[in-house]
Amino acid sequence: MKQSSKQTLLVLLLLIFGVPAFAMAGAPTDQIRQTTEKILAIVDAPALKGPDKEAERQKQMRQVVDERFDWAAMARSALGKHWRELSEAQRAEFTGLFSELIEKNYMSKVESYSGEKILYKGDKVDGTFGVVEVVIVTLRGTDIPVSYRVLKKDTSWLVYDVSIEGVSLVNNYRSQIGTILNSSSYDTLIVRIKSKIAAGPAESAGKKAQPAAEQKKGESAL
Amino acid sequence: MKAAFPLFAIVILVGSGCRSTPPGQVRAAGVSSQPVAIAEQKGGADLPGIGESPDVVLSAQPIAVPDPIEPVNRAFFYFNDKLYFWVLSPVSKGYAKILPQPARRCVKNFFSNIATPVRLVNCTLQAEFEGAWVELERFAINTTVGVAGFGDPARNRWNMEKRDEDLGQTLGRYGLGPSIYFDWPVLGPSNVRDTVGYVGDLFLDPINYLVPNYAYSVGIKAYETVNGTSLRPGEYEDFKEAAIDPYVALRDAYYQYRRNQISNGEGQTARPVGTLTAE
Repeated sequence: MKQSSKQTLLVLLLLIFGVPAFAMAGAPTDQIRQTTEKILAIVDAPALKGPDKEAERQKQMRQVVDERFDWAAMARSALGKHWRELSEAQRAEFTGLFSELIEKNYMSKVESYSGEKILYKGDKVDGTFGVVEVVIVTLRGTDIPVSYRVLKKDTSWLVYDVSIEGVSLVNNYRSQIGTILNSSSYDTLIVRIKSKIAAGPAESAGKKAQPAAEQKKGESAL
Repeated sequence: MKAAFPLFAIVILVGSGCRSTPPGQVRAAGVSSQPVAIAEQKGGADLPGIGESPDVVLSAQPIAVPDPIEPVNRAFFYFNDKLYFWVLSPVSKGYAKILPQPARRCVKNFFSNIATPVRLVNCTLQAEFEGAWVELERFAINTTVGVAGFGDPARNRWNMEKRDEDLGQTLGRYGLGPSIYFDWPVLGPSNVRDTVGYVGDLFLDPINYLVPNYAYSVGIKAYETVNGTSLRPGEYEDFKEAAIDPYVALRDAYYQYRRNQISNGEGQTARPVGTLTAE
């Protein structure tokens, strides 16, 4: 309530004084919310329903996600010290594949979305850094706390890490990537990521149907 | 009892509802106003940076997990993985067909209600007296209004969240580090501290006093696990699918998850904990 009246005031001030850069500034939560809503709109869009529209649906989702995630920062951070050892071409290749892997997993989650509640708990901002706290309430009634770590580029707040129940995604990947690079080579890493990206959809198609049906039944859970 | 078993299959996209802070209070911790005196902090010493990029930032301190018996742990990980796909998953799917989901939730509530002493004692040991009081109230309400603990009206009607404390967390609060990693067969990821905690919690869980012998205890625990797994279908599959090296992913996620549980999710600031810079 309070929040929204403040925003109205801000909008009015902006209309009067016309300072567009201001509009996006204090609002990491709004930007995360916008992205989430855009994604859910794509999932819900009747024109994009069905398995034959999957490619188009995923393309659109990918566009929305790409606008919000700072893949370069995430990929660098996930590589850690090994970033230095790579050539420009390798860095670009890794960044592309890494974003593809995360998007694939993210989208398979979103595709099985069936009305979970998403609560925006607010954000904290310190200079050009921020954290947006979100709670996803599953249909079974459990709460999953998610925090988006964001950094500001111009007027956009871009995600550089996501933590679920306190587990940082980027840190988790860094530990895996570090293990692989320490014991074998960059080429091995790339092969393994590629096989993950390729293996996904077929494997998940069969089993995704079940949990969704399973959850629907339990909507009136105790 | 909470610590090890369900963690076999949870972590990355968890639905276990393990939380120790009520949702309203999630991380009310203040924004740190310290300057960016970040770079390498303690604990991240194994993480030499990458130099040229000031915008590579760490949202949380990386954890270097000591794993001297990695080959053994990997063997047990493989065993647990097969145990899940060959036994636990099919059994819990069959079970889910027999018992509808609301009933399975009741079973989960029932076990959770009986285990109240574990959480109550550990809240007290951590001087979380408000949490201990909540656990007492929850027990009183759920045992009566909730019909022997099968329902959870304390949460659903009165918004009292369970305080998921265990002895491993208590020891962590007292300053005990996790020490080396174990991936126990059947029980799954743990470490020295949490294993000690797990054993200690067995003595606090009344279910172990209510049954005549050890074999029954194991049977009940197995049933509880099947029941719990049936409420989280596809979770382990999702986790595995996202991981490049599932063994390392689970190990790291377990340590991060426990660190967050021990701190009750507090101490999060908007500012990153560090940057990856050259040493």
